[in-house]
Amino acid sequence: MSTVLSIQNLTKHFGRIKAVNELNLEVQSGQVFGVLGPNGSGKTTTLGMLMGVTNPTSGSFYWFGEKPTPQIRRKIGAVLEHPIFYPYLSGQHNLELNAMIKQCPIENIERVLELVELTERKDDKYRTYSLGMKQRLAIASALLNDPTVLILDEPTNGLDPMGIAEIRSIIRKIASQGKTIILASHLLDEVQKVCSHFAILKKGSLVHIGPVGDVGQGEVIVEVNADIENLNEILLTFSGTASVLRENGSFQVLMRDGYHGTELNRFLFEKGITASHLVTRKKSLEQQFLEILSEH
Amino acid sequence: MLYLLKIDFKKLIHYRTFWIIVGLYFFTLGTATASGMEFLKWLARTIEGFGQSININRIPLYHFPDIWQNLAWSSGLLKIMLGIMVVISITNEFTYRTVRQNIIDGLSRTEFLISKIGTNLMLSAISMILVFFISLFTGLIYSPHLDTQFMFKGIQFFPAYFLEVFSFLSFALMLGILIQRSGLTIVLLLNSYLIELIIKENLDDYVPQIIPYFPLESIMNLVPMPFARYAFQEIRDYVSWQSVLIALVWVFLFNYFSYLKLKKSDI
Repeated sequence: MSTVLSIQNLTKHFGRIKAVNELNLEVQSGQVFGVLGPNGSGKTTTLGMLMGVTNPTSGSFYWFGEKPTPQIRRKIGAVLEHPIFYPYLSGQHNLELNAMIKQCPIENIERVLELVELTERKDDKYRTYSLGMKQRLAIASALLNDPTVLILDEPTNGLDPMGIAEIRSIIRKIASQGKTIILASHLLDEVQKVCSHFAILKKGSLVHIGPVGDVGQGEVIVEVNADIENLNEILLTFSGTASVLRENGSFQVLMRDGYHGTELNRFLFEKGITASHLVTRKKSLEQQFLEILSEH
Repeated sequence: MLYLLKIDFKKLIHYRTFWIIVGLYFFTLGTATASGMEFLKWLARTIEGFGQSININRIPLYHFPDIWQNLAWSSGLLKIMLGIMVVISITNEFTYRTVRQNIIDGLSRTEFLISKIGTNLMLSAISMILVFFISLFTGLIYSPHLDTQFMFKGIQFFPAYFLEVFSFLSFALMLGILIQRSGLTIVLLLNSYLIELIIKENLDDYVPQIIPYFPLESIMNLVPMPFARYAFQEIRDYVSWQSVLIALVWVFLFNYFSYLKLKKSDI
């Protein structure tokens, strides 16, 4: 694996506000990297600096180990904040213009329009598009040059559930081709579903970085229910139980280190109890996210 | 450079407002410059005594070599329309935030500016070529005799006219980049002549020597107003090197300020 992006002490001040503060980050090739953070945590400012539209106050970053240049930006597909196009040009003409800027063959347009399912509307003016279509055109434009890195900033913002599902499947499709994706979002569910790694920003500082697979590790909660009256007491006698909480008509058992649902199930079975419901719950990214934010 | 010119052209070629304004500009430019004689005839018909006291055919408006300066100066009045088009083109980039996307997509800020300056150069060049050919043809039609020795005296006003249009468009582009809002920029562009006039009039009594260095004054000085010569007044019937030099410095400054603003700001 090679390093696609390396950020060193990147800082941006707007007057007295520290929008991004001494940020250090590395993204490896093939990762789907989620950048999380509440509104105003510096996600877009960071991406703006990476794409050359925001001038950093200090610090540096390297794409593919090189200092950033406009030529390198042509190899990266990026949509920041919301889609930006010339409203009086058709989707096709907007993409032709982008192809000229990125200096890539105009024949690519057909393929990307097909991918985002906009071929039918390509000759209509951009201003007549719905929000979902605008978002999809933006993704098409980002993919135009067959980039190795894709940057998406809140790509499902303001979309209806169907639109969100469509964009998500497009992202998955792209990720499966081995492209590196950097995805900024405040929708945690979205990041957990598509990302392999994630970082959390708060007030411009990095507060957490790690693989999504690690989320919820170390702590196991088993949700149990059975048709007996003193289930609560029996669960408490199990040596692996740390605590029991009654919630939504079933019991949430927080396990001690090294214990899992299997052991609990065996324990109940040996006691002659058959569980009608037994599920191992992992901590969701949302819980972890809120915990991390409250810690800092 | 050609690649950048193509990019800006691509933005404009499907933009209806562009074709309407630029079309109207070149139409007005062509017809207005070509129909000066008709205008004189109309004056003779309408104003009592005009045709009798002055024989309009004796006014060498369209005679070589007068015609070069006459038409170059008159054409210069219309450049304001092109200036407004330049303002719309650049401020659109800020309102639609497309300048941001252009840079994200891989243009450098300098390249973006060069693409706009390139269009300004093209518009100025087309204006100059159009007015040159209209002058040549109307001159051939109306001049009583063609004297090749004097015919092209004053043709220097065409490069001067080109510089006049280009410096004004550079000024408009700079205002657009500094202000970024179309309405406000257009009002300021139109008002800038008045503002400069007021400042000049107030300074005239104390430091008249600095007047030629004002930006819009320097643009106007490139092709001086010729018509006073028909009322037996002395006019400057050549392009002065000093005015060219001052205008060139301003062209550099206008575009340099645009560059600085683009370079320094977060887009």
